[in-house]
Amino acid sequence: MSRSVGRFVILLAFTLGIGSNTSFADTPIVELRIRNHLFFPDTLEVPAHTKIKLLVINEDPTPEEFESYELNREKVILGHRKTVIFIGPLPPGEYPFFGEFYPKTAQGKIVVTAQQPSE
Amino acid sequence: MFLNSVVLILQEILEAALLISILLVLSRQLQLSARWFATGMILGGIGAFILSFNLATISEWLDYAGQEILIATIMLAVLGLLTLIGLYSTLPPSSSRHALPYLMSICVALALSREGAEIVIYLGGILNHQASIQPTFTGAGIGAGIGLSAGVLLYFGLLSLPVSWIFCTCIVLLALIGGTMASQATLLLTQVDWITYSPVLWDSSIWLPEDSIPGHLLYALIGYEATPSLFQAIAYGLGFLLVSISATLGHLNHFRSRRTNTGDK
Repeated sequence: MSRSVGRFVILLAFTLGIGSNTSFADTPIVELRIRNHLFFPDTLEVPAHTKIKLLVINEDPTPEEFESYELNREKVILGHRKTVIFIGPLPPGEYPFFGEFYPKTAQGKIVVTAQQPSE
Repeated sequence: MFLNSVVLILQEILEAALLISILLVLSRQLQLSARWFATGMILGGIGAFILSFNLATISEWLDYAGQEILIATIMLAVLGLLTLIGLYSTLPPSSSRHALPYLMSICVALALSREGAEIVIYLGGILNHQASIQPTFTGAGIGAGIGLSAGVLLYFGLLSLPVSWIFCTCIVLLALIGGTMASQATLLLTQVDWITYSPVLWDSSIWLPEDSIPGHLLYALIGYEATPSLFQAIAYGLGFLLVSISATLGHLNHFRSRRTNTGDK
């Protein structure tokens, strides 16, 4: 519900051409799912120098902890729950993350790519 | 599962064990009864279970910022308690030293609730995997054992220092933990966008990675971060100053009152 409202606000902001890179409504949402102790997708591509709202959905019945030393992020997500983690703005590069409770399988990375110059 | 469990439990236990050791040494130096320790442990254990059972709900508060806000609040409360402990332990024994055992037990209870909740959640999740139960719990036992040993080592290490150094070292270590609390709270609030992004100050991950053994140890003891942000560093400095200045003020007050007393005679 709140997500669809958020998307509507983003759409509205784009349509009206308002908001800057740092405004809340403009924060892109990226979805990450946890299933069978694996991350889907295991590679997320995001633009450089942009704050990202990472929506993590745990489809497993077991808890997991999203952790990344490179991103300085750490958050417990209980079974069948979802959560939000803000990351960035980041310079281009690769930022690995893992599930601290099942680190052998739950591995992924965020690839930050240089932004295309806007017209 | 086994090795992961050792590392995970060790990380959680280590932070709490080091804090408790320092407080126990301080309490011994001030000749306080160590009954606060048992109270703190029991309250912390209960707190860890309450927190872990309610974390799912708490996490969804405030547009999914509940977990961070609550943990940051606990960390800032620990910083506040360390500040008061610094002040009261340096004041003359007659004035307000009776408050110290209460402050110490609440401090331990809060620290244990936070660290313990993650252990309860992790081990609780493992109960769904029949095959993993034994290696995980064995690993957890070993991790806890190593963490507690580090605490015991610090306790006797501190007590083996020259007597005049012990007290001062404890205060400096508590101030470092205070700095860590402020820095970690800042990080959590940045994670949910309550505090705005600030640039990374340095990157020492090549020389001393956070996931190495010395990295973990330094994280537990002085809150080491390989890539701290500007706001984290400022918060760390403020947290450290808060505890050390309050201890210095208490000490000056103690010194002055002692001089006045001698002057009266």
